[in-house]
Amino acid sequence: MTETYLSIQGVKKSFGPTTVVRDFSLDVGRGEFISFLGPSGCGKTTMLRMVAGFEEPSEGRIVVGGKDVTHLKPNQRKIGMVFQAYALFPNLTVAQNIAFGLRVAGMPKAESAQRVQDMLKLISLPQLGDRYPYQLSGGQQQRVALARALAPKPRLLLLDEPLSALDAKVRVSLREEIRSIQKELGITTIFVTHDQEEALSISDRIVVMNNGRADQAGTPFEIYNRPSTRFVANFVGTLNVLEARVLDAQAGSVDVAGQVLALDRDLAPKRKGDMISLALRPEAVSLGRAGARTGALAATIADVHFLGSVIRVRTKIGDSTVSLDTFNDPTMPPPVSGTPAELAFAPRDLMVLAD
Amino acid sequence: MKAGKFWAWLTFGLGAAYFIIPLLATMEFAMRMRRGTYSFDAFAVVFGDPRFQQTFGYSVVAAFFTILLGVLIVVPTAYWIRLRMPHIRPVIEFITLLPLVIPAIVIVFGYIRMYGSNSPLPFLGSARGTDALLVIGYAILALPYMYRAVDTGLRTIDVRTLTEAAQILGAGWGTIIMRLILPNVLIAVLSGAFLTFAIVIGEFTVASLLNRPAFGPYLQNIGANRAYEPAALAVITFVVTWGCMSVIQMLARFAPKSANRPD
Ligand SMILES: Nc1ncnc2c1ncn2[C@@H]1O[C@H](COP(=O)(O)OP(=O)(O)O)[C@@H](O)[C@H]1O
Ligand SMILES: [Mg+2]
Repeated sequence: MTETYLSIQGVKKSFGPTTVVRDFSLDVGRGEFISFLGPSGCGKTTMLRMVAGFEEPSEGRIVVGGKDVTHLKPNQRKIGMVFQAYALFPNLTVAQNIAFGLRVAGMPKAESAQRVQDMLKLISLPQLGDRYPYQLSGGQQQRVALARALAPKPRLLLLDEPLSALDAKVRVSLREEIRSIQKELGITTIFVTHDQEEALSISDRIVVMNNGRADQAGTPFEIYNRPSTRFVANFVGTLNVLEARVLDAQAGSVDVAGQVLALDRDLAPKRKGDMISLALRPEAVSLGRAGARTGALAATIADVHFLGSVIRVRTKIGDSTVSLDTFNDPTMPPPVSGTPAELAFAPRDLMVLAD
Repeated sequence: MKAGKFWAWLTFGLGAAYFIIPLLATMEFAMRMRRGTYSFDAFAVVFGDPRFQQTFGYSVVAAFFTILLGVLIVVPTAYWIRLRMPHIRPVIEFITLLPLVIPAIVIVFGYIRMYGSNSPLPFLGSARGTDALLVIGYAILALPYMYRAVDTGLRTIDVRTLTEAAQILGAGWGTIIMRLILPNVLIAVLSGAFLTFAIVIGEFTVASLLNRPAFGPYLQNIGANRAYEPAALAVITFVVTWGCMSVIQMLARFAPKSANRPD
């Protein structure tokens, strides 16, 4: 990470008796693309609105470029924002919409017209300057909203679920376009979404939010492969969770539904007899003999879904269900439900979930 | 199907007749001033009457200021309530309805008691002051129509998000109201303005009791003392109102387009 540009320090926000954001701290580097990821109602929008200045934190500070902006009004922050509902001004043309921030800032006409043209080119809609918002598709409107936010050269770009009102195909192409424009301009960006795939695919770092807290901040790779809490592990990707009882914390040996399993790590401060949750991604498990992989558990095949190139198998270990995907091998008969099977995995792929 | 259409047309025809026949009769009567033949004498008399010109002009100016005052009060208020205090909207709606319930005469007597020349706010001490009071009174009489029109206009846009979008682009309240809110409720403001104009042109009670040379008292005066001229005046008033409505229709066509009103 380069030098810190945006710093959110111990922010808390309450509306009356309900606390919506708590203990939120985050340092964002210049030019970084950060996603706030979390389920609906977890406080993503509220945190973003505090950065924008629409809400005032109940506690904590927000610093941009070394300057404390915690109590600055939104119209003094020089921030660009894109809203879920497009929010283009219906009475203005596309060009006038993009020029709005420039006019407010008092930029001379000729200069602002040039900048509008540049922005229209940036969003690949150079011909549409004279259209009104209602004459554009949702995807086009959202690109115009992006251009309008970027035209005054803001210090930060904030996007609140900008893609969720669009259909699936546009959503994917536009998120890539947003990312490439962001890289081209090198603008520090916060992108709010409840869609894990969206966050994983375009972010430098993801902040997973749960119940007003930042549960974990890390690269998509870290978030997916090394989730630090049970919530993160569950929310990002599909996860098989196994309940286990510690047999020997130091040696890392546990009991899963009557089977002994050796983990490759020290489980302290857990002690003998404590319950822990282990998690496995479906892609980390395979059917059959353990072979080079050392972890193995006996299971029963519960059901089999033939999906074409992939076969999704659900197995039971005691009361827990473990899903896994195997590739369809035409020379091999598919697994049969009700038969016993052995699950193989590398012990380092087993995650121990904090609660 | 056919029968349904027949009854629809019949109802429409009856309604139109109910509306048009009295108008035609009034017109016919107004044209009978000269014995034995139709003429526009009554209209000539009315238009030639300097008091007609003065009172009509006075009321048009009063209407203009009433509309201005109404827009200045109602647009920011309705906007602010939608933006920040949606919970008190029912209260405001109730207040704006009061002028429909409280007779104008009560309002005027209140004014006369409160703003007499000995009061701390002696509006009635000068002619200008009384004019101002008249305009204020009119603005209150027009409040139910103006507020409702503007509030309906505001409902068609996402006031909060648009406001925030403008704020984050650096706009202050003045810019937001002038460049964003007003243009988007222009049609609504125009229809409110039209209603206000219609109310002010025909208003009698307030103007008469404040003793202002307005069109309403003039109409009443002519109506009580002449035969043919009142009919001519009625037709003229009707044409003026009708003309207003067409102008507003045309303005609406040229007004900025919006997502809520394609075409
Ligand atoms: N102005 C407000 N007053 C009271 N509660 C609010 C307000 N804004 C948001 N909340 C509450 O805060 C919680 C988080 O909201 P939000 O930040 O919009 O979540 P997200 O964007 O993650 O879906 C929700 O339970 C919501 O009801
Ligand atoms: Mg939200």
